[in-house]
Amino acid sequence: MIEELKNTFDKFNKKISIKDKIVHTRLDNFNAFAKIGFPGKSLEDWKFSNFNKIISKFKNIRVNLEEKIELEFNNFITEFEHNKIVFVNGFYNKHSFEYENEDKIVFDFLKNGPAYKASGNNSLNLLNNAFFTDGLLLNVKEGYSFQKPLIVYNVFKANKNNNFFNHKLIINVEKNANLELVNNNINLNSEPIFLNTSNFFHVEKYAVLKLFQINHLNNQDLNYNLNDATVLENGVFENFILTCNNEFFKNDVFCFLKENYSSGFINGCILANNNEEHEIKTFTKHIGESTKSYQKVKSVLDKNSKSIFQGKIYVDSHAQKTDGYQLSKAIILDQNSEFDSKPELEIYADDVKCSHGSTSGNLDENAIFYLMSRGLSRSDARKLLIKGFLEDVIETITSEKIKKYFSKRLSILLNEYR
Amino acid sequence: MLKINNLSAKIENKQILNGLNLNVKAGEIHAIMGPNGSGKSTLANILSGKKGYEISGSITYQDKDLFKLEIEERAHNGLFLAFQYPLEIPGVNTSNFLKTSLNAIRKSNGKKELDALEFLKIIKLKAAELKIDEKILNRQLNVGFSGGEKKKNEILQMSLYEPNMVILDETDSGLDIDALKIVANGVNSLRDKKRSFLIITHYQRLLDYIKPDFVHVLMQGKIAKTGCSDLALELEKAGYEKI
Ligand SMILES: Nc1ncnc2c1ncn2[C@@H]1O[C@H](COP(=O)(O)OP(=O)(O)O)[C@@H](O)[C@H]1O
Ligand SMILES: [Mg+2]
Repeated sequence: MIEELKNTFDKFNKKISIKDKIVHTRLDNFNAFAKIGFPGKSLEDWKFSNFNKIISKFKNIRVNLEEKIELEFNNFITEFEHNKIVFVNGFYNKHSFEYENEDKIVFDFLKNGPAYKASGNNSLNLLNNAFFTDGLLLNVKEGYSFQKPLIVYNVFKANKNNNFFNHKLIINVEKNANLELVNNNINLNSEPIFLNTSNFFHVEKYAVLKLFQINHLNNQDLNYNLNDATVLENGVFENFILTCNNEFFKNDVFCFLKENYSSGFINGCILANNNEEHEIKTFTKHIGESTKSYQKVKSVLDKNSKSIFQGKIYVDSHAQKTDGYQLSKAIILDQNSEFDSKPELEIYADDVKCSHGSTSGNLDENAIFYLMSRGLSRSDARKLLIKGFLEDVIETITSEKIKKYFSKRLSILLNEYR
Repeated sequence: MLKINNLSAKIENKQILNGLNLNVKAGEIHAIMGPNGSGKSTLANILSGKKGYEISGSITYQDKDLFKLEIEERAHNGLFLAFQYPLEIPGVNTSNFLKTSLNAIRKSNGKKELDALEFLKIIKLKAAELKIDEKILNRQLNVGFSGGEKKKNEILQMSLYEPNMVILDETDSGLDIDALKIVANGVNSLRDKKRSFLIITHYQRLLDYIKPDFVHVLMQGKIAKTGCSDLALELEKAGYEKI
């Protein structure tokens, strides 16, 4: 498979890279990837997944080389006003920052470079560095707060020759600046895609970045998403992830609380159904003093599906007065679904407050009886209980409009449940 | 209204009800008293349709075979149970829940569903009538409610759904006198010729405020004695041993 991918890569690199330097850097990344291969079960970070088996179903990995595609995407979220950027099949399509002062924003698209150095051993990130077609480079200038959220629409219309997409967001929020960013992946076709994204965020002093992730993908799609955030003094990184309808969806979130009083919140709702496998993996590194981190992930599993939560909290010896909280819960609706939870605390400071917990179980029959005795059908009673279970995570969203949107989206998704 | 004929129930091979007979006519209030563990809640649960019991005998409710009705159909047909231990439902807003359930009942009866505004008007009125603090409406259903608040919430539901057959399972237990009056008021204001009540209680205290037509003593899985409201006073003095 990797052999074949190499041929694809050579053609791709020739076409997309405009400078020698970029050609070489992309090649370095590919070679580094090829050395490791797709992540295997022997890697600690991947021990709950059989990614090689999952990717092997993807017989025909093809990269999009055609930039132009006839598609006028206008199916925007209507629940709240927002700025937008549309990428179609991995390439920039259009944008509108109609609510913003454009002097306070610097942005560019990644198609013409730069390239990103091959480093680390995350093979999917290396693969992304080799293959990314485009992406957003955004800098929010000092003291500027976005008036409305920015939604990145990642729209795909795949076919057999065009099903592997690599995308990037490189975002810097300067001192005292504010951004609410929504990433919305949409697959318009039923042809399965493999979406591989690597996102890097830099949150400067007193800045706030809120990142929300929505997916409108299909249940044969594979999706690996890397979020890597570095947070400076008093900065806040807030990440909320709702997973649904992907055959495989792994979210790898790194949060480096580099300076004092910085904080990172990573919360998620996992809805895995029909043989799907979804994961949220977090790694929070407390480096500065008085830093705070919070992870709350709740899963609802049905029909032979699987959810994984791996949450690592590392507290450096300098990171006194760290405040860490982690909770992972699952409702398992059938006999064949599986929930794997691996909390991991590595603490080298002594003045630290860290708690974590994990539970799983089925819906409470007595609660179902109570609700049914009030006239609700069994199915409605179950849905209400599931919604209530997840609502607790939705509540962590600090933006009212977006909280409302997710709550509504959840109700729509739960309509399909028994 | 409700006719229970030779009802027996077992759970995990333990006989709990053993040939119970009871006939509640429209407009009547029946009180059931009995020692702890005598099967009062079991009877209430079976009437509401809880699964898990091995049952024999028959129950007709409004001339229908009750066992043929699903749990929610019993609610749709106007059967209401105020739980002895109302469940806490995290993440579910009380007001939303009340609206959803009321609309489910209305819909099944061919009535128009209420929109948010119409509902709010009704629920606020009901809460005010019963002197129940509106604040509970915006909290998660029964979550962190005191015992009294949970019971008041059950009474609020009762008055909202306007059921035909009300079963109160020890709704008075653990209530102070003010809360007790709220419960009694709720019942008395619904009391009419067409509506029946089955009031399970441990103390005759509640019956000072709600005058039952009959008082039954449940022991050894059946009605051991039936009398008028004086029987409750007797029991209070002499205990159940004498029965
Ligand atoms: N799910 C159950 N499994 C086993 N025994 C039960 C169960 N529910 C009730 N019982 C038993 O049945 C008896 C009657 O219980 P209950 O109806 O709750 O009594 P009451 O409401 O009169 O106090 C008790 O002895 C109780 O322990
Ligand atoms: Mg009881």
